[in-house]
Amino acid sequence: MPQDMPPVGGYGAVQYKRNLPAHGLFRPRNLILASAGLMVYGWYQLVVGVREMNEMAREKMWARIHLIPMLQAECDRDLVRRHLADQAREKELLGENFKVYNSDRYVRPTFAAVPQHVTK
Amino acid sequence: MAARKPTFNQQILIDPTPLPDSIPKVKEVGASSAPLLSAAFFIGARCKDYNDDYMQCKTVNPGKGEFECLKEGRRVTRCARSVIEDINKSCLEQFRAHWTCLENNNHQLWQCRPDEWKLNKCVFDNLKLEKVIPDQPKQSTPVHLRQKQIYAHSPVPAWEKPFIAEKSQSS
Repeated sequence: MPQDMPPVGGYGAVQYKRNLPAHGLFRPRNLILASAGLMVYGWYQLVVGVREMNEMAREKMWARIHLIPMLQAECDRDLVRRHLADQAREKELLGENFKVYNSDRYVRPTFAAVPQHVTK
Repeated sequence: MAARKPTFNQQILIDPTPLPDSIPKVKEVGASSAPLLSAAFFIGARCKDYNDDYMQCKTVNPGKGEFECLKEGRRVTRCARSVIEDINKSCLEQFRAHWTCLENNNHQLWQCRPDEWKLNKCVFDNLKLEKVIPDQPKQSTPVHLRQKQIYAHSPVPAWEKPFIAEKSQSS
């Protein structure tokens, strides 16, 4: 019985390599260089932007630093005024000032007594 | 006794009692945030010593600074007030333009550079106060003197030039 055998002289070569000629604008080297260029440009812009933002943050911070003593002084005066008024009122109502905290430090008032039932 | 009865009725919970007469009175600054931000660097330029005194007093009197530092606080307030008054007197138009711009732009200083440069020029010419941001890195233009504000909504027009005081030009 005859069997299938390779043709005389063997099979032809199998084409397993692709044949894509690299030419024109989009050859691999150009693509890689273009991506690298885009990346460098983007990072440069980012660094410039971050530095500008840091500078502006510093400007804002210094503007605030220059204002803080003034704002704090005003706040302190108001606290002192209310504290002294409170003390005077307490003395008038109770006859003496009780020491509320076991410390000589000034404690900012946390709570205010408000009436429970609102009447007319 | 408190000089005035507190209005602690059930709707109004405000204590209007003034400070006792033993503590001298001072007029408060009374400016809102945009004018204060606009004038911050001028306040800092003129009142640096008073501010430092006050902050030092607060530091060396922890817990009692509110009472011990009233005198320094009055000096700070008087000085800041004098700056605002002087700017109002000599540069009202530029001042108002700048803080209106700040008010309209979410207090973002970089949106208002042209107005700021005009204000800086007027204040430097009249009051000899200059805006200087401390700790500026070497060999970089201070951010408020850059012609190109990359975060601003609209680019700075080409005819608006940053104001650089002569003193810093020579140095």
